[in-house]
Amino acid sequence: MNEMTIRGKLPSAEEITLIKKFLDDTTLFLGPDPEIMQNHDIMPRTAIEDAAIAQVSDAHTVAKIRDRIQAGCDEGYEMVEQMGAAPGAKWGDVITGVYSASGDLAIASAGGVLIFSALVHHPIKFIIKNWMNDPTVGVKEGDGFIHNDSRYGNVHNTDQSMIIPIFHKGKLVCWVASTVHEGENGAIEPGGMPSMAESPSDEGLKMSPFKVVENYQIKRDILTFLQNSVREPKLQYEDMKVKLFACLRIKQRIEETLNSDGPEALMATLRLTMENVRAEVKRRISEWPDMTVRTYIIQDSTLRENCVVKINCKLTKTGDRLIFDFRGSSPEFTNRATNTIVAGLKGMLAQVFLCYVWPDLPRGQAAFAPIEVITDPHSIVNCSYDAPNSQSLMSIFTGFTAGQHAVAKFLYSCPEKFTKVHAPTFNMINTFIWGGVSQHGETLGNLCADLNGMGAGATANRDGEHALAPIFATMADIGEQELNEEEVPFLQLVSKKMTRDAIAPGKYRGGQGYTMMVATKDSEQWGFMTTAQGAKIPPIQGLFGGYACGTYPLSKVKNVDVYDVLMNQPEKFRHSIEEIMNEQPFEEASYSTHHMGMGFEISKRGELFMISQGAGAGYGDLLERDPVSVIKDIEEGLMSPEVAARLYKVVFDPKTLAIDFDATEAARAAERQARIARSVPYAEFIKGWNQPKPPAHLQYFGCWGDDVGTLYMGSADVTRRGDQPRPNYMMHPKDVRIAELEARLEAVGAMGNEKK
Amino acid sequence: MKRVSVDIGGTFTDCFVVWGQQYIETKALTTHHNLAMGFNEALGKACKTLGLELEEILGEVDSVRYATTLGTNALIEHKGPKIGMLVTAGYEATVPLSRARGYGEGLDNMGQQDMPNAQRPDPLVEPHMIYGVRERLDFQGNLVMPLDEEDVRRQLRGLVDRGAQIIVVALVNSVVNPAHEQRIEEIVLEEYPSHLLGAIPVILSHQVAGRKGEYVRATSAIVDGYLHSTMYHALSALEQNLRAHKYEKPMLVIHNSGGMAQLNSTDALQTIHSGPVSGIGASEHLSLQAALGNVVATDMGGTSYDIGIVVEGGIKHYDFNPVIDRWLVSVPMVHLVTLGAGGGSIASYDRMYKTVKCGPESAGSDPGPACYDRGGMRPTVTDADLLLGYLDAENYAGGSIPLNPRRAKAAIEDALCDELDCSVIEAAKLVREKVDDNMANGLFTELRARGYDPKDFTMLAYGGNGPLHCCGIAQNLSIDKILAPPLSSVFSAVGAGNMHQLHIHEQSLYMVLYDSNTRHIFDDYDRFNAIVAELKEKGTQDLLRQGVPLDQIRHDLELDMRYGNQLVQTTAVIPAHEVHGPGDVLAIISQFSNDYGKRFGEGSQAPEAGIRINTIRVAAYAKHETVQFEDIKPLPKPARKAPPAPQSHRTCHFVGHDGAFETPVWARSAIEPGVEIEGPAIVASEVTTFLVNPGWTYVAAKQGASWFLRNEAPVTRH
Repeated sequence: MNEMTIRGKLPSAEEITLIKKFLDDTTLFLGPDPEIMQNHDIMPRTAIEDAAIAQVSDAHTVAKIRDRIQAGCDEGYEMVEQMGAAPGAKWGDVITGVYSASGDLAIASAGGVLIFSALVHHPIKFIIKNWMNDPTVGVKEGDGFIHNDSRYGNVHNTDQSMIIPIFHKGKLVCWVASTVHEGENGAIEPGGMPSMAESPSDEGLKMSPFKVVENYQIKRDILTFLQNSVREPKLQYEDMKVKLFACLRIKQRIEETLNSDGPEALMATLRLTMENVRAEVKRRISEWPDMTVRTYIIQDSTLRENCVVKINCKLTKTGDRLIFDFRGSSPEFTNRATNTIVAGLKGMLAQVFLCYVWPDLPRGQAAFAPIEVITDPHSIVNCSYDAPNSQSLMSIFTGFTAGQHAVAKFLYSCPEKFTKVHAPTFNMINTFIWGGVSQHGETLGNLCADLNGMGAGATANRDGEHALAPIFATMADIGEQELNEEEVPFLQLVSKKMTRDAIAPGKYRGGQGYTMMVATKDSEQWGFMTTAQGAKIPPIQGLFGGYACGTYPLSKVKNVDVYDVLMNQPEKFRHSIEEIMNEQPFEEASYSTHHMGMGFEISKRGELFMISQGAGAGYGDLLERDPVSVIKDIEEGLMSPEVAARLYKVVFDPKTLAIDFDATEAARAAERQARIARSVPYAEFIKGWNQPKPPAHLQYFGCWGDDVGTLYMGSADVTRRGDQPRPNYMMHPKDVRIAELEARLEAVGAMGNEKK
Repeated sequence: MKRVSVDIGGTFTDCFVVWGQQYIETKALTTHHNLAMGFNEALGKACKTLGLELEEILGEVDSVRYATTLGTNALIEHKGPKIGMLVTAGYEATVPLSRARGYGEGLDNMGQQDMPNAQRPDPLVEPHMIYGVRERLDFQGNLVMPLDEEDVRRQLRGLVDRGAQIIVVALVNSVVNPAHEQRIEEIVLEEYPSHLLGAIPVILSHQVAGRKGEYVRATSAIVDGYLHSTMYHALSALEQNLRAHKYEKPMLVIHNSGGMAQLNSTDALQTIHSGPVSGIGASEHLSLQAALGNVVATDMGGTSYDIGIVVEGGIKHYDFNPVIDRWLVSVPMVHLVTLGAGGGSIASYDRMYKTVKCGPESAGSDPGPACYDRGGMRPTVTDADLLLGYLDAENYAGGSIPLNPRRAKAAIEDALCDELDCSVIEAAKLVREKVDDNMANGLFTELRARGYDPKDFTMLAYGGNGPLHCCGIAQNLSIDKILAPPLSSVFSAVGAGNMHQLHIHEQSLYMVLYDSNTRHIFDDYDRFNAIVAELKEKGTQDLLRQGVPLDQIRHDLELDMRYGNQLVQTTAVIPAHEVHGPGDVLAIISQFSNDYGKRFGEGSQAPEAGIRINTIRVAAYAKHETVQFEDIKPLPKPARKAPPAPQSHRTCHFVGHDGAFETPVWARSAIEPGVEIEGPAIVASEVTTFLVNPGWTYVAAKQGASWFLRNEAPVTRH
């Protein structure tokens, strides 16, 4: 209001009051509140919390109560995981937690998806700010609120939360919430994460926080509306109930504490828990060396078209401050879904710390609270209200990797380590999203749990584990195909077979990915989509001389019913992408490769869709890898002998795999000499390598070179200032294709009378 | 009744002999090179008590039963044959990838969260020993790709050439159509006939586990194959020993399902954890005989705290996918939870929260607690217990381990006192409080997650540290009755002595009882009845083969059911074993709804989303005569006797009480049944210490049972 002027003059205080009242009374709707959405720190202590801490501050008493509430959260988590119908619930894409009366997440379940820990507090704060005193809504005992719109705080709108307030003798003492990755949400593509979305309106249900439960009962009218808005009404119903009952179970635990220890003890416990963790994080940061690390990750598509999209990251530590600066990252796409709200990015950065840097820290909002994040407004990592973000994972995962890569450099020099220094984990959801009508006549839309099989990065002393866990969760599950096949009408003909040569080599190699081949069998209404990047440019970087992973395209075989082949000519079938695409064993079939952003596509019976899960990054110089480990990789089908020999300079008998150690040493010495011969002085390299602008033939987005203030927008000639947003539209890929074809027709004079 | 039952543990072989009205408990060190030696020594001690020869006892007993942890130990020690594995082509990495989460199975929460340190355990089958065979079936068992027999022969030879000593076959969907697995077995026999020296044992996954889930079934078959030879040789040697000593009846082996069978009807996987499971079996038996109602069995030792649940009404709690060592398997095993809390749990300063944390790191037995004086420098729960006055430094563990209080004091001072700015006693009390809280929270979550309220339970406390910590744990749970059971030093062996012969058969299926899309209620009664009949027949045949008369065979029917597409499968015990109309189907649905509501909260049921049966399970059993406990209930207060004069006094400190208590100490052997002692008090035996907290009363009962009763109604804290 201070900057408000009327005809160039500052209004008087009376005028300001009048104007403010008018504006408040005429709010069109309550959109996301920047004050809430941009802040990830814990709220200031309230007077009530001060008073509570004055009464109860004994560390041992607080610890006792905290453990009890933690057990309650874990119990709620187990309930959701067990009772939930969504595949996400079954593999642990869930969190339950207890939030302070001000809305901060104080204690979260030990299992589940950590990114939520930095995100679900936003909608609670929205409820507190807007609905608590609103006479048409209000917050009272027995209420429950639902939410999924990421613009109000979420990863993406496929995640739904149930939030209930907890009262003691009429006073609000805390909140309990349960969040699950539900999958289907009524978007233009099934499964909840549409890459075809060109605006938020294409993304399905967008639930700002609203009341859906009264007297601990789900309101049937609203439930019916929600069920009508999605493809899986059964799932919507089941999981709303599950989340509510999990919250009620945690509520019981809290009430028992309220009865035995009093509300002050509870509130003091929640507050002190957060403050203690926050202080510990500051202390740990202060032990890191003061320095700056710069890194970047490239996204190679918007999931609709190939392009080069930069995620730029500068990490600076000074004193007890740690600052992530993502300025210079790509501008937001006005009509592509790969943008993220900044809170999503922060959530994933919190994950870096809670699972990969300080795994001993308790889960909650406070663990990331003191860390600072800077971004450009309306950028791909801090998108605006009007930009779609249903595929935000593309940007938060690459943002995560940028952070993980930068942090590793600090950890290397940090005196006290809480885990191993490691290369980046694979970061893309290389899996099939599916939907349609099942063999049982049910309408379904969701995805294969294979996204949980991301390869781990190598560490300072050993290879990365294959297909270990998704970057957003621990103890996640890639599932059992026998159980999946009971419910969906397709088979994974190849389900878990290591993809040969899809590697990230290094002194220690990354954990590798595996092949998935699917084909619809028992439904005429079934289709797949894939939503990942990295088909042309690796989405991660290696560490200290280790390599990034390979690239993983989507391959399709059409005009074939592979089930006929399997029954009648089974000898023709091959169990690897490599063999099928190179040998093309099915006559008449068509074979093609694509980027990993396949929009939802109906699949005919027996058509093959083939992808590979990706590898984590390598660590250290390849020439230092133990030759015995190289041969073991060949034996286990991870590498072909040719690739192994070429990369690692190991000399061995290709038939017996016996190593010639002397020849290997000689080959490696020769390669070291060759490296020296190939090298040039830094200044000379820069002179030959640096270009003033991005190449004209590439659609490039983001800063170029050292100038992080100028963002390129798909062309060397179109830019914006980082702090000055501009729309950034992409043409529809079909329009691009039509234009290309028309140009060719015109060039050969075949357009006839048709007008463009 | 005359009976011998044995629990062969990693350290001790416990023996329980029932000889008419005499119950004899004996122990000997386990002799790993030949288990019979330890057994003979333990039984020999019983012979001495009875004044009989080994042959006289073994010639007259109705049965000899074994529970053993041998399989668990063999897995941990990684001693097994080189396994070659045949799987469906395209699934070669299923086992090595272990569903991704396999890295953390069997680890504590910290081990599961620390991703850079995540590492899968060393495999039981090397990845290069897993070959794919060209075949495929769909979820209903329909043929998708025929079995390529030439391919099977080729792969088989490849495995044998690489040194495979046993072949495990685990094909996708083999539980609904085992034809391909069976054909592969035939091919193995054709290629390597059993009469030739190069014969190779074959394990088929569908014979080891009847449930769907290609990974868990494969690991079950692998663990079974891995242990097969070790267990076979060890148990056969025991059987031979029995034969040599005039025992001519079949030897019975305890299963982790909570039943038992003859050796020829036992697979190795079923023996894992049979020792602790026998302890739960003993608890169940005791609960029934002494009318204890719901019981939570707790066994606190040096490194772990095992919890088992026994509830009224006969509902059994199983894990269908238990973790054995680090492996997720598929076998119906009596539910058993192990927490990382014991006497050896290490206490440290929690810098973040400015308090004490305790475990899960353990000093184990080597170096053990600081007070053991064996080089341990970090404070443990036992050090705290010693400093608080509960343990007799000179007579700990029957005097076998002298304790050094100075070491305990120094360890606590160094690790905790400076940081906490408190005295040694205050720090020790914090350690004690923390470990009791940890166990109480674990126990609470365990009971509550199954829909039970702890205050409705009697706690059974056994194991070396159980009676020492039980009051502190129960205090936190509003439990007001604790029983340190009779015959507690050989409790698992007692459990083995009360098992019934039992076989469980189950079938995974996709059976919709209520289809929410079509609003159709299940009516394929013949299918349901046929499956149940087949499973009953399998169980019947198992028992008939072991000589059980047909008229003694009983069956229980259980259905694992779920709403919609949930993960959870709630087990409903169904009294009627056949369905003939909608009324029968609705009765099943109603039973399921009741059980589900009890567990997750009334109103949480979601039948509108559809109702399915995922597994039909039949337990076939034959009941045996059981050991009769004497009346171990505590005498009513007026009938109780005063204790004799205490043997000594020790200065003790108790959590929640300021200052020191001059605490009277009795030897357990000096306390007769019916004697009542007000806390604070200590009753010491050779194997444990019964610590009676202030506010609790100790009452001795028959057969060495001890009760701890809370004096006043508990304050509800949980």
